[in-house]
Amino acid sequence: MQKLARHGVAASAAVLVMVLAAACGSSSSSSGNSSGSSAASASASLPTNGAGLTQPTTPAGTRLSGGTVFFTEGPDAAPNYIFPMYSPQVCSTANNNQLEYMMYRPLYWYGNNYRPNIDYDYSIGEQPQFSDGNKTVTIKLNSWKWSNGEPVTSRDLVFWMNMMKASPATEWCGYVPGYFPDNVASYSAPDPQTFVLHFTKDYNPTWVTYDELSQLTPIPLAWDRTSLSQPAPTSDNGHLPDTTKAGAAAVYKFLDGEAKKPGSWATSPLWQVVDGPFHLQSFTTAGEATLVPNPDYSGSPKATISKLVELPFTSETAIYNQLRSAGPSSLTVANLPSQYAPQISALEAIGYTDNKAASYSFNYFPLNLHNPKVGPIFSQMYFRQAFQHLLDQQGWIKAFLTDTAIPTCGPVPDAPPSSLVSAASISFTPCAFSTSAAQQLLSSHGWKVVPGGTTTCQNPSLCGAGITQGEGISFTLDYESGVVSVQNEMNDLAAQAKKVGININLTTHPFGTVISTAVACQPSQPTCKWQAENWGAGWIYGPSYLPTGEQLFAPGAVANYGSYNDASTTQLISEVTVASNETQELDAYAQNVSQRVPVVFQPTSIGTYQGDAGTLVAKNLGGYAANALGLMNPEDWYFTR
Amino acid sequence: MTGYIIRRLGEAIIVTLGVTMITFALLHLLPGNLAHDVLGPRASPQELAQFTQQNGLNRPIYVQYWLFLEKLLHGNLGYSYQYNRSVDSLLASELPRDLVLGGLSLIFALLIAIPVGVAQAVRRNGVLDYTSTGVSFLLYSMPQYAIALLLIQFLSISFHVLPAEAPQSSSALGMLAHPAGLVLPVASLTLVTFAQFSRYMRSSAIDTLAQDYIRTARAKGLSERLVLWRHLLRNSLVTVVTLVGLSIPLVITGTLIIEQVFNFPGAGLEYLQATLSNDYEVMLGITVLVGVVTVLGNLVADIGYAILDPRIRY
Repeated sequence: MQKLARHGVAASAAVLVMVLAAACGSSSSSSGNSSGSSAASASASLPTNGAGLTQPTTPAGTRLSGGTVFFTEGPDAAPNYIFPMYSPQVCSTANNNQLEYMMYRPLYWYGNNYRPNIDYDYSIGEQPQFSDGNKTVTIKLNSWKWSNGEPVTSRDLVFWMNMMKASPATEWCGYVPGYFPDNVASYSAPDPQTFVLHFTKDYNPTWVTYDELSQLTPIPLAWDRTSLSQPAPTSDNGHLPDTTKAGAAAVYKFLDGEAKKPGSWATSPLWQVVDGPFHLQSFTTAGEATLVPNPDYSGSPKATISKLVELPFTSETAIYNQLRSAGPSSLTVANLPSQYAPQISALEAIGYTDNKAASYSFNYFPLNLHNPKVGPIFSQMYFRQAFQHLLDQQGWIKAFLTDTAIPTCGPVPDAPPSSLVSAASISFTPCAFSTSAAQQLLSSHGWKVVPGGTTTCQNPSLCGAGITQGEGISFTLDYESGVVSVQNEMNDLAAQAKKVGININLTTHPFGTVISTAVACQPSQPTCKWQAENWGAGWIYGPSYLPTGEQLFAPGAVANYGSYNDASTTQLISEVTVASNETQELDAYAQNVSQRVPVVFQPTSIGTYQGDAGTLVAKNLGGYAANALGLMNPEDWYFTR
Repeated sequence: MTGYIIRRLGEAIIVTLGVTMITFALLHLLPGNLAHDVLGPRASPQELAQFTQQNGLNRPIYVQYWLFLEKLLHGNLGYSYQYNRSVDSLLASELPRDLVLGGLSLIFALLIAIPVGVAQAVRRNGVLDYTSTGVSFLLYSMPQYAIALLLIQFLSISFHVLPAEAPQSSSALGMLAHPAGLVLPVASLTLVTFAQFSRYMRSSAIDTLAQDYIRTARAKGLSERLVLWRHLLRNSLVTVVTLVGLSIPLVITGTLIIEQVFNFPGAGLEYLQATLSNDYEVMLGITVLVGVVTVLGNLVADIGYAILDPRIRY
């Protein structure tokens, strides 16, 4: 799981790219219905957005072989790392989904046809077999080959595990203390096509498949070295360094260093050994990556396009200008920035199809429950519920986001739909916009609500622990600068809050500052001065793809920035990982989180990358379907005449 | 003159040292923590401590500054943690391209502004003067991005005459091989710079025309062309030379908006991104470079005065 960020690589966080709503819609206030929209919102219909292409495009005309697909990278988000064991520092869609995964295939492939599910037809591994009370997982590998002629074997997975188990494990983007690979008691390769993992507990098989096995990628033995001057190792040429912990750490250090040299990627004997459908032909200093089909690709289908060129852009404006001026001949697949959503019909008219796929994510911002001043107020569930009622999500979507976002009220994404999670878990009622409901919640818990003034606590025993008589509700909400829609939303939130006597002091900082300020802390620590931080995006599920909460809301979890700690939520999180019926447990977990509001939910942008308004696909490109997790399958794509 | 240049170079070194010192101190006063920014919020205290130790961040600031100067003297401007590249290599790939863009626009602006300014002065209060003044005011008052977007709208989107993005070649020579792509970004920069330069040139030429030596030259029976070429132009250029000297640093970082609009990754954009992501060493490297170029630009301007006006002696 990863904290969502803007522009591909978060300088300071483990993040994926997501511009959440740079829409430059109306600057007017949102619906402004301060008290009357409760009922309407409570019965709100499910979102109409987030409808991605669930089937590959099939344009009319003769299918062609060859052709170059031009694809837009995010603004200033060119790849900067190539080794698939990526650390939080370089954990971005630009590096993972758009580059590494096309060359170095993970063991399992997820998200095809806009469903957040596993696709065994595209995977190296066959369906995992669970035994020993689900503690043991046996994985048979399909017969794949590396481009250097070596077979893809279970030894390549042992190599990966050896690296993860060495010190680099803490640098793995998907690392959660206590979970993978800490919860792996042992692993082995009894034969070249069989890989066996023994877990320390009998976990739920679905959870293991989606959250743990998703973190495995076979890597070639040609990488098992500590310098380029060494001859390329193979399985039969003797001792390999990764078999000891120190050796694995040394290999990781070497590969990590080589992965940070973009200038040598296209010529490196390391990175040219691939098992995916493409390999890197060139990479420019500006970030333009040219990928060509790997002629030795073992999977199916084989690529029929002759090239995939990923083009770097300096700004959203530059993307739009290029789309409008040159059209599908210069950009075949393009992620349209949200601010240009009103131009979608004009772009469709010049030869594009708009794929309104959402990424498997949800948007929120944390309140600091450990802040020494307002932490006691934020710790009260009724306060968080009341505050959540002040967000006019549907009004914001109309007024500020040009209908390119989905109302959000929980950790389970509403879109794309998932067979793993019951639709019953998606309820918008706790998040319905209603200042009257907020006022009622505060009044019934000992607060004297003063609309337009300052609401104060009159009955501390009802207000909650740590709140004193006469204390007002006033705090600072820091949000990302430079994004008009976020600014409009926060201004509206402050105005709505004032209507129930909550004073919000709005401040802004660059994205990097906001995202790195929101850290879990203890009240006595200097880092605990922050009160509310909104970096304008939220969380995307990957490389753990099941929407569970062990990274988000468990005490001490890496991304539990607000220091939320609720026994019932913790229990449900724990139960999901070991449950026999994960759908039921996930449903209970989702409802629990929606009701308890550990963070403030806000509209989740659609768009596979960067919270764009959608992905524009040239109408003569066939085989394109949305991937629920933002992965790319250009081996499926073809042009038609 | 040689002595003057040596003296000025000495002063330039002192000023540059001052620039590095102030920049270094200011960047270290910024809120945040380099180790935290680079390693991310998931970094453990041990990792943060290790990074701090490895990069000397736990040493006194004057020691860190001395180490920075040592690296600088060896041509090492630092390392970008965002781009995983040395700052030297970043600038080496971007500066030549910036020089093409900024340099061409500067040259075109001068080539247009100087004759227009002189013509306005000579035909003061005429149709040409009023028209040129109006155009200059219009261009000067327009934000650069507005000019760029208007050019793109008309010439790229509506009429498809020119491409909407700058040449994407990673080398300066490669850019020149695609002149069509250069037209709009260079024109956007040129139009604003021309407006500024032509106003100064007009004003300077009007002052020069009122000088006794112009009247004397005409009284001697010198042709009007020689008066303008030998006496008016040369003496009027002093003001423009000052502007050109001050514009040289802008060639490096002054094209930020154009870089964003025309998909042209350059040093200006690099600097902005470094600021947003707390990529300290990139900020430091570019600031020092701009400081040095500013000092050199002023030096070149001072030398230019002496060449243009023999009465100026240092």
